[in-house]
Amino acid sequence: MKSAPLQRLQGELAQAWVVIVKDMKVHYLRPGMIMFGFLMPFFMFFSFSVRREMAAAQGVARLLALTTFFTAGAAGPFIIPLERRLGTYDRLLAAPMSLLTLLLGKAAVGTLFAIGVSIFSLIVGVVAFGASIAQPWLLVAGVILGSFSFSALGLIFGSVPTRNPGDVQMPSTLLRWGLLFISGTFIPLTEMAPAARAVAYLSPLTYAQDLMNHAVLGMGLLSPWLDLLVLLASGILFMVSPVWMHRRARRLGY
Amino acid sequence: MSNLNYTIEVNNLTKVYGPPDSGVLAVDHINFQVHQGEVFGFLGPNGAGKTTTQRMLTTLLEPTEGRIVIFGHDLARDAYPVKRQMGLVPEESNVYTELTAWDNLMFTAQLYRVSRAERAERAQQLLETFGLGEKRDVKVENFSKGMRRRLSIAMAIIHRPTLLFLDEPTPGLDAQSARAIRDLIRQLNAEGTTIFLTTHQIEEANQLCDRVAIINHGRIAAIDTPERLKAAFRRVQSVEVALEPPAGSEPAGGLAALPKVTTSVKMGDKWRLYTEDPSTLLPLVVDYARENGLKVISLSTLGPSLEDVFLELTGQQVGTVRHEMQEDKPRRRGMGGGR
Repeated sequence: MKSAPLQRLQGELAQAWVVIVKDMKVHYLRPGMIMFGFLMPFFMFFSFSVRREMAAAQGVARLLALTTFFTAGAAGPFIIPLERRLGTYDRLLAAPMSLLTLLLGKAAVGTLFAIGVSIFSLIVGVVAFGASIAQPWLLVAGVILGSFSFSALGLIFGSVPTRNPGDVQMPSTLLRWGLLFISGTFIPLTEMAPAARAVAYLSPLTYAQDLMNHAVLGMGLLSPWLDLLVLLASGILFMVSPVWMHRRARRLGY
Repeated sequence: MSNLNYTIEVNNLTKVYGPPDSGVLAVDHINFQVHQGEVFGFLGPNGAGKTTTQRMLTTLLEPTEGRIVIFGHDLARDAYPVKRQMGLVPEESNVYTELTAWDNLMFTAQLYRVSRAERAERAQQLLETFGLGEKRDVKVENFSKGMRRRLSIAMAIIHRPTLLFLDEPTPGLDAQSARAIRDLIRQLNAEGTTIFLTTHQIEEANQLCDRVAIINHGRIAAIDTPERLKAAFRRVQSVEVALEPPAGSEPAGGLAALPKVTTSVKMGDKWRLYTEDPSTLLPLVVDYARENGLKVISLSTLGPSLEDVFLELTGQQVGTVRHEMQEDKPRRRGMGGGR
């Protein structure tokens, strides 16, 4: 016989899964998700990679970092404000599950979306460009942890108490663009000035890109373990803010 | 110590939107109890604090001050068992339009951990009860407003809650759909569900509620049964009369000047004359009609309606608003005289 806490945990996980499946059915094919989650990373990739000297494997590593970063982060700022506007978010908040369960479910929606698009990117890279993967397990771990971290980052924007996705999508996109240019995605860390590199180390995308370099090219600047650790830690850290923001909104009535 | 006979106990409940010291006070130290198995109406004008109170009771908002106890559980400390036993039908039908009626019900059933064995049977039963059986596999985006409302209620009760919150369940619906929903509320209550009904539709509260609370400016103005509230406001009794003037003559505007009339309101082809003494006023109205050559189409005395009580309690003297509206449109009188 299961103990009450174990039963509760099992129930909460089941509820998180219900939220994930529902969001996949309801939101994955919305234009906003396709635009910001699917087309944007490819648009960014081709904008900054076409007609530049680059090996296929290098391109695939960059594309994978971009897809996890953009796709995972697209869900939170889009889905939560939209659900607030439609009134369906109250249904979730009033349900018998913890706020953390709900937010983990929402983070998983972005994570799974990013994993799916990353698999598509990988297939394109391997089939169309003949790229090979040096360390597949690092690739798997990197895509999962990177997607989780960036999805949690997106949740911070989704937790701003607004009913209009446009209010948070713009600042969210601006932040992601900023991070993109300081994180060694388009300019390798080794070519950066020391000051720029110091700034790059503040961005989780730096570690995701370095990890993809390890996984696809077989080499990176930092330790892959450090990359994994930073992505995991940043994901957890990014999950704390949405919980705090939701509680604050409930307390102040926003 | 909480009383287990009460489903809901609210003590000193206060809500300030924004920082407590500089925000906007929406609910101001209110107290009330909801008994087990009753239909409790929560009435008030727009902005009175109805929805804010309901959102605090359903855990969507945190009170600034005060205590809510539901089923004996302090909501601030132990909301989980309460959430499992409550259902919520918000003002907007919050259904997923991209999903079918069936998928909406299945999603909610899973969210409330209805067992796999019971889920499908219960969903099918609800679809039939709510007249949506044939629409089971139709996406909700193709549903009418009334159908969405019914589905929203079905979703709220799929886990057989013992406490159901309904926020303005019928506005905007056609008469048939509104009546069907009121019948459903009665049926749920008859099956033992405690209902907390937030509404500004006074007649709906009059028909459905065992007790009503009237909230105004964030404070409870009165709590009692509809009939007791009406009895307490005998001063707003009225005489309603419809008079037909001869062709070309003036309408019956002089009724307002009769002795004993405190307020007069023209309501379509009728006049409602508010008075504390209808038995004295009745013969005066008949005399007035005779003296002016007016034909009495109908004449009746009325006790105070719940709407009258509501207007009195919310600071709008009975008849005032409608009377002012009528005075704003003097042309209508002239048009009426042409009959």
